[in-house]
Amino acid sequence: MESEFKIPASAFLIPVFKEQAESVSFTAGMPGIRIQYLQGTVWGLTPEQIKTRIIEGVNKHTGQPMMRELITKLTAPLTAAEQDMTPKKLDVGPATYTDTEENLHKLFLEKRYTDFLPVVLPTKERVDAMLAQTSHDPDAFLGRMHPGSVAGETWTYTVRHAAIAAVMAGAKPEYLPVILAIGSTGQTAVNVSDNGFAAGAIINGKIRDEIGMNYDLGAIGPYAHANTTIGRAWSLLSINGGNCGKVGTTYHGTVGNPANLINVIIAENEEESPWEPFSVRKGFKKDENVVTLLNGWGILSARNWQVTDWSATPTYSKTVQDIYRLQNPGLFGTFVVLSPPIADFIVSEGYNTLEKFNEFVTAPDPNAKPKMPAGAAKPAGDAAAKAKAGAAKPGAGGPGAGGPGGAPKPKVAPNATSGAFGVVVTGGRNNNYWMIGGLAPGTSVSIDAWR
Amino acid sequence: MKLRMAVVVALCVGLVCGIAVTQGYAQGGKITVYNPLGTPPPIEMKAMAPRLNTLDGKTIYLVNTGFPNSGPFMQVVGEWFAANYPKTKIEIRSQGMSNMPPALKEEIGKNADAVLFGLGH
Repeated sequence: MESEFKIPASAFLIPVFKEQAESVSFTAGMPGIRIQYLQGTVWGLTPEQIKTRIIEGVNKHTGQPMMRELITKLTAPLTAAEQDMTPKKLDVGPATYTDTEENLHKLFLEKRYTDFLPVVLPTKERVDAMLAQTSHDPDAFLGRMHPGSVAGETWTYTVRHAAIAAVMAGAKPEYLPVILAIGSTGQTAVNVSDNGFAAGAIINGKIRDEIGMNYDLGAIGPYAHANTTIGRAWSLLSINGGNCGKVGTTYHGTVGNPANLINVIIAENEEESPWEPFSVRKGFKKDENVVTLLNGWGILSARNWQVTDWSATPTYSKTVQDIYRLQNPGLFGTFVVLSPPIADFIVSEGYNTLEKFNEFVTAPDPNAKPKMPAGAAKPAGDAAAKAKAGAAKPGAGGPGAGGPGGAPKPKVAPNATSGAFGVVVTGGRNNNYWMIGGLAPGTSVSIDAWR
Repeated sequence: MKLRMAVVVALCVGLVCGIAVTQGYAQGGKITVYNPLGTPPPIEMKAMAPRLNTLDGKTIYLVNTGFPNSGPFMQVVGEWFAANYPKTKIEIRSQGMSNMPPALKEEIGKNADAVLFGLGH
């Protein structure tokens, strides 16, 4: 705004964002932009408290009344430093490091290249072994990523960067096409938001068995090498390839989210599902290897909700509807992870197709009071069905995506709208438990395009 | 005995060296690894705008970015300007959490002498 219209522009920020603001201003090419920092958060204050505590308050760091500082920012002539147009660049260091293994582990920790768990150091041999699983040029552009909003710059990364992340995560080479497919979307696993968002991915197709993914007991937990390391590689690619997850600059989760470590990786239990696979609902053929990305609040046990039916003979479809209505529309809609027995119960309750189930769950609530959080979209019904109905738009990015992947373009389905209702089936049959929450399905991409 | 020990030591050294080679070790027990960082965007320097020599007769836009309590905050900022800079015209607008609507951007470009966004929580 300041450079485009040649008028002074400023923003009110709380001081905790100072480091991030300076980083963003630097990479945006205006490191001297004058930002007005407040005394603290405004959320929760009455207008009178805003007036007395913030507007008429004194900046404890400078000793100046806040609004006087603001007036100075609008009127004081630019300094020499603010007028300095000397070209600047971000230094990411050398292409390689050579040292002892012990020192390199320390270096990777100090430079925040890791998730604080031990990593496998990415030697050329290990990375080459990983790259042998794809026909793509190691130096080909794979994706561009930002931390989830304009609050951070967009970085780019190559096929090799994804292979490096895969090695560091401990992934086996045969997992690489899945990791490349995820990386090609540009969606970060580690969103900058102070909300502390989660990210996830649904894997469909025969590749689930080919690489040993778990879709039985403990399906979405860290109980299989493939599920765990694929999810971890995504986070490490986000941290390093996309410069995400750096506390203070590109990460601000107030409380944080443990899902960011390995993400919500869902290999669908297609064999035990009474309905067509999620990927088919997104327009792909059955048995085609596809990954669909998710982002949002995350999921937790359906037993958490007050509306859960604890009777001996619960009606699960009604419980899903009740939870949907509780959180509808939500910023990310309602996303259900059903275990096979719960899916069977829902079929027995009369919903042998997902179209019928969607129609039931998303039916207007006659007792609903208007509620629409800022920025929320209208409820959109089943996300996958919506996507299937729409024309494919190659190059569509996922929620929070910085952009599509590199050539050749994989088959890409369009985004779903937030506020949707989505269903996937995974897990075992040992008991009647299931998960539900707010996760919006986004981009779906072919995995085989990255072999 | 000495011969057996020498053979064992030689085998161990050979084993360690073999592992070191396959694991990418260089001489001196050092290895070379990739820097995992991607590529940051190029920085295109942008000039800051000249400051205002007075606020009298100027129009300042206050843009509510849609975060919780941003609306009331901007209202209070507007009231402060009205009380302290009565010759300054204040226009309060809301853009929500998403990118600025083109119409609002055009309006600001046409009418504003300065613009303040708020708030980052």
